Amino acid sequence: MGSMGNRKALEMVRSMPRVSFVNIRDNPGSKKQKKIRGQGGSRGGESGRGRSGKSKRDTRPPIGYEGGTTPFYLRIPMFPFYKNFATRRQYIPVSLEKLQHLIDMGRIDPEEPIDVTSFVHAGAVRINVFDRVYGIHLTDEGADKFVAPVNLEVQWTSELSIAAVERSGGTISLGYYDPQSLDILSHPLQFFRRGQPIPKRLLPPKDLVDMYTDPSKRGYLSDPNQIKENRLLLAQKFGYELPDLTKGSRRALHR
Amino acid sequence: MFGRVCLLCSLSRPVVSAHLSRTHQLRALYSSYESQYSLNKLYPGSDQDVTKPLDKPSKELFLRLQDDIEEVSETEKFSGFIPIDKLNVKFSKSGGPGGQNVNKVESKVDLRFHLESAEWLPASIRAQIQEKKQTNINAKGELVITSQKTRSQMRNVQDCLQKLRDIIAEVQRTPKEPDENSAAVWRMRQEKSTRERLKQKTIHSRTKTDRQVYADE
Repeated sequence: MGSMGNRKALEMVRSMPRVSFVNIRDNPGSKKQKKIRGQGGSRGGESGRGRSGKSKRDTRPPIGYEGGTTPFYLRIPMFPFYKNFATRRQYIPVSLEKLQHLIDMGRIDPEEPIDVTSFVHAGAVRINVFDRVYGIHLTDEGADKFVAPVNLEVQWTSELSIAAVERSGGTISLGYYDPQSLDILSHPLQFFRRGQPIPKRLLPPKDLVDMYTDPSKRGYLSDPNQIKENRLLLAQKFGYELPDLTKGSRRALHR
Repeated sequence: MFGRVCLLCSLSRPVVSAHLSRTHQLRALYSSYESQYSLNKLYPGSDQDVTKPLDKPSKELFLRLQDDIEEVSETEKFSGFIPIDKLNVKFSKSGGPGGQNVNKVESKVDLRFHLESAEWLPASIRAQIQEKKQTNINAKGELVITSQKTRSQMRNVQDCLQKLRDIIAEVQRTPKEPDENSAAVWRMRQEKSTRERLKQKTIHSRTKTDRQVYADE
């Protein structure tokens, strides 16, 4: 089915004259202008360099030169703020306050497992894997007021956030998704329309293995029994009674 | 599945597994597949169902939160478990600067429980707390612990519980008695420091005297 724009374009083409040498031209940028030597053309003669002087003779000082005083860019000491920045992993922050708000507004359904796809469909985050985004970081702002029982999977979190979620009668786990898998997870319907087979979800890289096998961080590759122990310990540490997960609405749990 | 017409038999009866469609067969096949990194294979003894609590939590589990206490008899050892429902926890607004946030948010935590009737603490520990922590016990016999260390209520509750655990550990520690040799050495050092102090004092006194000017000089 052609859209309105396509139909208009076709009608225009029908009414246009026949293509000939008169009404075609090269694509912009396809033909580069030749260098002009001597007096011919606009860049002839002095070649845009002006009359005698340092600018003509290419003996100007370097950019940033301040006539002899130490230039600004040499006065300020170096600090590696952006060292390895291009290779660092980024995690989009979502606070517990934001999550509670999304649930209260009905943008996220707490009866279903909540993962990256839920956050993207709720419009809370935008995942662009080309910005080296590796997932979502659940921050602990709003932990005191968080009350929704959720079944959550994120990629980074803190101990306080885990405590806040478990205190409310929910579960949380940390799951690693390699960039290709994360990209698919953030727009699954578009991916399925392509008709491509689902690629393998890779295991975490070496420096992330410790995190995802750590039961105190609720890693998805950690020992389930140790996770249960940790749930009890965390409840003791933060002073709440661990809710009974068998009661309440039946939800498909991640693990 | 019930009531579907089986084409081979052309009779209305429940469809048995032999007549399952290809997609159902594939689904059954793939749902039984387990990779070598599946949790069943990595941790064979663990129950994956999070809703089921642990069958037998180990005795030392809660002691991970408690500092190691030396020289305690087994019968009187604290298990490490604090029953939160037996504690009386109250929240109120914190003091200090902080503008609108400190005025509105109830981040101060007050934790108290009646010491004598705390069955979860061994009797010897209760007695020791009564003896050594009188300043933290009120007229009603309640041990009172407060915290307004952080901006967050949850973290302040954690701080209160940590303080409680520290008290339990502290009252059980027997202070190390100094042995005979060290007592004598300590006395000698005290006398030496006193002698030195008095020596400096006389020197200073002489300096002050030397500065005095008499009218007849």
